[in-house]
Amino acid sequence: MKKQVLPALIGIVVALLAGLLILWAQGYPPLESYAALFSYSLFSKFAFFSTLDKATPLILTGLSAAVGFGSNCVNLGQPGQFLIGAMAVTAFGIAVDLPAGLMIPLSILVALVAGACWSGIAAGLRRRFKMDEFITTLMLNFIADYFTLYLISGPMLDKRMYSPLTPMTNPGAWLPIWNGFGSAFLVAVAAFAVVSVLWNRSKIGYEWRAMGQNPIFSRTGGCRNDAAYVWAMLLSGALAGLAGGLMIMGGMQHRFVKGIGANYAWDGVMIAIVANNNMIATGLYALFFSVIQTGSMGMELETSVPSEFSLVLQAIVVLFVVASRESTRVLINNITAELRMRRARGRDKGMGDGRHASNG
Amino acid sequence: MHLMVEMIRSSILSATPVLLAGLGGAYTFHANVFNIAMEGMMLIGAFTAVAGSYFSGSWIMGVLSGIAGGLVAALIFAIFVVSLKTDEFVTGTALNMLALGGTTYSLRQLFHVKGAFMSHAIQSMPRWNIPLISRIPHLGPILSGHPFIVYASILLAFVVEWHIFGTRYGLRLRAVGEDARAVDSVGVSSDRIKAQAIIASGVLCGLAGAYLSLGYVTLFSENMSNGRGWIALAVIILTRGRPMGLLLMSLVFGLFDGLGLSLQGTIIPPQFTQMVPYIATIVALYFYSREKRSARGGKETPTT
Amino acid sequence: MQDQFIKMDSITKIYPPDTLALDKVDLEIQEGEIHSIIGENGAGKSTLMKVFYGMAPPSGGEIHFRGRKAKFATPREAVASGIGMVHQEFMLIPSYTVYENVILGAEPAGRFGTLRHADTKPKVEELVDTYGLNIDINSRIGDISVGAQQKVEILKLLYRDVDVLIMDEPTAALTPQEAGELFARLRGLNKVGKTIIFISHKLDEVLELSDRITVMRKGRRVVTVDNRGLDKAELARAMVGRDVVFSIEKAPASLGEIVFEARGLRYVDENGVIRLEGVSFDVRRGEIVGIAGVEGNGQYELVQLVTGLLSAQSGRVFIGGHDVTGEDVMARRKLMCYVPQDRKVSGSAQNMSLVDNAIMTHHRLNPEIEDRCEALLSSGRCRAFTSRLVEDFGVLVPELDAPISSLSGGNQQKVVVGREFMLDTDFILLDQPTRGLDVGSIEYVQEEVVRRRDAGAGCLLISADLDELFSLSDRILVMSRGRVVAELRPEATTREEIGEYMLGAKDAQEDWRAREEVGK
Repeated sequence: MKKQVLPALIGIVVALLAGLLILWAQGYPPLESYAALFSYSLFSKFAFFSTLDKATPLILTGLSAAVGFGSNCVNLGQPGQFLIGAMAVTAFGIAVDLPAGLMIPLSILVALVAGACWSGIAAGLRRRFKMDEFITTLMLNFIADYFTLYLISGPMLDKRMYSPLTPMTNPGAWLPIWNGFGSAFLVAVAAFAVVSVLWNRSKIGYEWRAMGQNPIFSRTGGCRNDAAYVWAMLLSGALAGLAGGLMIMGGMQHRFVKGIGANYAWDGVMIAIVANNNMIATGLYALFFSVIQTGSMGMELETSVPSEFSLVLQAIVVLFVVASRESTRVLINNITAELRMRRARGRDKGMGDGRHASNG
Repeated sequence: MHLMVEMIRSSILSATPVLLAGLGGAYTFHANVFNIAMEGMMLIGAFTAVAGSYFSGSWIMGVLSGIAGGLVAALIFAIFVVSLKTDEFVTGTALNMLALGGTTYSLRQLFHVKGAFMSHAIQSMPRWNIPLISRIPHLGPILSGHPFIVYASILLAFVVEWHIFGTRYGLRLRAVGEDARAVDSVGVSSDRIKAQAIIASGVLCGLAGAYLSLGYVTLFSENMSNGRGWIALAVIILTRGRPMGLLLMSLVFGLFDGLGLSLQGTIIPPQFTQMVPYIATIVALYFYSREKRSARGGKETPTT
Repeated sequence: MQDQFIKMDSITKIYPPDTLALDKVDLEIQEGEIHSIIGENGAGKSTLMKVFYGMAPPSGGEIHFRGRKAKFATPREAVASGIGMVHQEFMLIPSYTVYENVILGAEPAGRFGTLRHADTKPKVEELVDTYGLNIDINSRIGDISVGAQQKVEILKLLYRDVDVLIMDEPTAALTPQEAGELFARLRGLNKVGKTIIFISHKLDEVLELSDRITVMRKGRRVVTVDNRGLDKAELARAMVGRDVVFSIEKAPASLGEIVFEARGLRYVDENGVIRLEGVSFDVRRGEIVGIAGVEGNGQYELVQLVTGLLSAQSGRVFIGGHDVTGEDVMARRKLMCYVPQDRKVSGSAQNMSLVDNAIMTHHRLNPEIEDRCEALLSSGRCRAFTSRLVEDFGVLVPELDAPISSLSGGNQQKVVVGREFMLDTDFILLDQPTRGLDVGSIEYVQEEVVRRRDAGAGCLLISADLDELFSLSDRILVMSRGRVVAELRPEATTREEIGEYMLGAKDAQEDWRAREEVGK
């Protein structure tokens, strides 16, 4: 564990410095911008709560990608699964009106199932026809995108509105907001806890991890890779679907609008990548990314750096952390080897050189 | 008849970026580099092409800076993957995100707009009217009057075919893809060949991007590559990186894209017609997998 | 003093982070000799040659070649100076033809790098004829035998016109007959003036072939001697550092009931090639049945059919009296343990911790590592289980949470063997269980196998190492072209006879059938 923390910290620091340099080169005040970045995301109750709000979908898409990649399923369909999850919850929330005590758990279930169905298509195509899931999931993203766009501009369009969006869901499906704190975050935390236990402690989790590291090893050891693959895909899709569902259930909007997916799904993919599919790291990076995203609004306000800078900063963080993970190891190994060589030289000076007397 | 002509014409136009990116990806495919970054390279190329054309007032500079954009993206990819030995999938995904974020950010930073940038100052590629052919009825409008890159890319397919299968570099490239150690053992640096393949893919993806933003349309919009890099990746896998196959398959893809476009205005909602190319890719993958499963006979028999 | 042909001066090599592979090695090689370097796995023989050949930069020391200081940065520079190396693992492109493999890296090219074959193809043909290599240069590497592939490697070097040939463990994958051919070829090359450096860990080969012998141990040169009236035992002692027992002591087999039975197995692969045909045999409790054969003659498929990773087109498999033909891998694992061929590919996940590697298969079958909740594993019990494995099988480990890749090859194999033996089943399948291990670990694994046999388990041993088969097996089956062609007793046969069966030159079943025909 300790060995993973150091390169991550080095990577983050270097990436932040690189971001500093970019800001400075473009004539923005770099330090003030960073100060704004953090003060608008962490240093007030409101700021902190909106960071947690942003973190909610990121944690879930991050978990989704981590479960997928960590078990050797290249599920790149989070954007589609996210949208389908959100759309399913919207449709359910419009069509069904029940008390919150029933409506909330049912909506969560609908989101999970919808996301799992969408990834299940790719899983089925892979199982049945050996079609690479990384292409099918990517293509399914576009299909989901156009399909939901069709629904919100046609059958499910709120006729009173001028832009493509659906009517609001029934209030029973709304997650409460307590004093600015969105309770959707608690759902994400619960999902995180369940997935972590499943991943690290359960038998199927062990098989997923083994399959992710070496599928031949797990197959030889008797694991049912085919089944494990399908379950991992379904769980991965379900988590992305839940992320989408919570976008409708939480917050204030409670309706499906165009562009609701934003970049959450791809952010999740990046989070899993920097976290190296480790569950705790996924949670931490999700919080970190959400700090960057929330704070970038403040940065735009204070020093007028376009908030899109957060996208650049995130990608740089990913690249540098991944690079430092590899190069730190190589560097440390080389230093150790060099020290060993010096030690050997020192020893020889002390001992003279009579070790090669042969005995033949 | 007019509709047919229009459809075929537009299918050639929409096949071109997939073909160009696919030819670039053929290099990395044969070097066994999983190049998922083509989407990002293309997007960067599209942006830098618009920027170059806008600031210089010349489409040639636009195309060149599009290539330069793809090249820079490829260099980043090569440094990480080849020199630092990071994972190809991980690096490629991060690069795609960097491309998306970087172009969106620069769009606001340079042009102070969100979403899309259009201007009369952007010089688009000239269209070539081929003297005799343009007069042939039906065939003329199909074959003539395209941006020159359309013709160049078809020619390029033959060049790449020769380069990968008929030259010293190609022999080494394919050998690297099969067993990099074996190439190193005869004193040829497999890392260098991989880096060269990545750079070739970057240049061609940059060109594909330039075509998108200066030839296909004359504007830059956020995420305008819209999955074409991934479709190119799928097409490469389907054709096993053969440039002639790429030429054919990208035309098929273009045909479906054209089909989608020509179905617009009918009773089918436009969102469904826009899905057509992506569905077509999945269907093509299905036929490819079926063929692979049923008759994997002949040459590609791995002997254990 | 006259200039030495090749002179290495206190070569040191440290592999990062902390592996001292070569410790101040001095070596002199004379022009035109056959010089063998002998030592066990990990003694540094190959590393020394890699350093010499420019594949691994030395951490210290100097090399002189033909009186001049030589520091090859790449193999290409070494080849340009006239030094070539045939690696233990062949460096060939399977889908390329023999000819393409030969020219790769030194291609004849015209304008714009277009390949031109007009001059070179005849030249390569001529080389094949001159040295009597007897291969078709237009056939694909993937389609030719291991012995022929080795000839291609030699041809590659001849095409580059080298004077020094380094052969790294060249006989490892050859039958005794092919090895004999190779020796004759090497002597022929030596006669026309080539210097040959021959790396091996097999004493008999080295004594048969070389002019001089250098013994290495643990990264150091122990001694260099002329090959005249040398005593095998003495050489072995120099190599291992202690007296070596040449064969495992084992009591005669006390046979019990049948624990494994294969009946009429037939397997046709997805390309329609028949890989196994009519394979029937059994294994009884208390015996070790060895399977000999050139790699690629059905052993791989047999193992896959026995473990359940593949299913046969026809035939049945019985383990412990149960028909397991339709059962999957995990169901069979309740009845058998399996030490797979390549511990890095199928025996372990190199990036996972020791604990995670140790509990594979046990995680479903062994209730002792379960948590109170049945679907969960108890991390404490998993650790306790692993500690027991480490203790019982003498694995040297830094810590249980370290990735298994931080262990030496021998210790990794002990983990794999220990994990499987702790399943405690009556049938044991071993596929190349000692490949690539040092002598100490080989002895350990072999003794452990014999101990299991004496405790009443039935073992099926697949090995490419005839010495191992002879010292361990109670019966040896020979496989050739997907069939069991002979069943022999080690005390009543010779390596040469087995070699003939392996090559398909002799077929006991056909003999028998022919006799039957005559009888009618």
